[in-house]
Amino acid sequence: MSTFDKVKAIVVEQLGVDEAEVTIDSTFIDDLGADSLDIVELIMAFEEEFNVEIPDDVAEKIKTVKDTVEYIDSAK
Amino acid sequence: MIKTDICDLLQIEYPIFQGGMAWLGTAELASAVSEAGGLGIIGAGHMPPDVFRNEIHKVKERTSKPFGCNIMLMSPFVKEVMEVVVEERVPVITTGAGNPGVYIPALKEIGTKVIPVVASVLLAKRLLRGGIDALIAEGTESGGHVGDITTMALLPQVVDAVDVPVIAAGGIADGRGVAAAFALGAHAVQMGTRFVLSEECIAHENYKNAVLKAKDRSTVMTGLTTGHPVRIIDNQLAHKYKNLEFNGGSKEELENLGAGTLRKAAIEGDVKEGSVMIGQIAGMLQDVKPCKDIIVDIMTEAEAVINNLQRFGK
Repeated sequence: MSTFDKVKAIVVEQLGVDEAEVTIDSTFIDDLGADSLDIVELIMAFEEEFNVEIPDDVAEKIKTVKDTVEYIDSAK
Repeated sequence: MIKTDICDLLQIEYPIFQGGMAWLGTAELASAVSEAGGLGIIGAGHMPPDVFRNEIHKVKERTSKPFGCNIMLMSPFVKEVMEVVVEERVPVITTGAGNPGVYIPALKEIGTKVIPVVASVLLAKRLLRGGIDALIAEGTESGGHVGDITTMALLPQVVDAVDVPVIAAGGIADGRGVAAAFALGAHAVQMGTRFVLSEECIAHENYKNAVLKAKDRSTVMTGLTTGHPVRIIDNQLAHKYKNLEFNGGSKEELENLGAGTLRKAAIEGDVKEGSVMIGQIAGMLQDVKPCKDIIVDIMTEAEAVINNLQRFGK
């Protein structure tokens, strides 16, 4: 499973959105309807799934699925 | 007299915080609460840095006791405002609307205590990493920007999840509420609505009267669709907002409708078209009194309530 597919699965589960809605360019807030607390939950779920730490300064800049995939691939 | 580790941590006499309300958490109110032995808090809201610095100076002129500032992390001026906090060596900050993590190292260096407001267990856990000193668990009963979990349900869950002292907020305005918060594991309480009804609060007379008149069901949550819900008194503005929000109003339209409405109500006294941000406990409050009396009366009542509860142990 690619990083994107795993990220997508987490996003689908956490935000309760349809799989088809989640593309590499989706923004969490504007496209997927997340609020600020949802973002925190997402970040923590990513950390757990990929066993990486996403520090606060990075977490602040993660706005899209693409941002997430790129950070995780670089941190692994 | 009830003393907790929060009193020691912040060098205050009573474990009572005044909520850092935008427009109403002014130097007048914050200094009165601090001078009375609680923790007065300036609500920075969207204040530009120079206005914010001026409020800090006014508090320092009026009291030598510790005070705090509430920093709205979504403010367009947040970076500059944080610089002012460091330059002025503000003893305590509380933060709303996000994660203050990136600012904590600079604040730690000067000994400022950092106490974020949270409305969820997961955010509480995440914030622990940054080295915060305590947390405020704020239930949906509060006025203004709120989460969706009640204080009753949120507080014990946050207490169980973290290893720092927790301050309870939302729905507390008398000694019974303080005793209940302590029973659920809080080490202090934060009150907003109660301090709006203080002599020192600069809120317009109409605003205070609206709070006095409010009943248990007088407030509503607006902005549920925006992800940033706000509890206000149900008035013409609330109706208009809800209409727009549930009939496809865009984010911009909603923002425009909400912009400036707190000032309109709190300072100008238009409580029909303005935003009266108060908590659900408003219905209980019947009087306006000095901050000192509010604090002493509540803590005296809390002690009596706690003593009285012992009868259940017999």
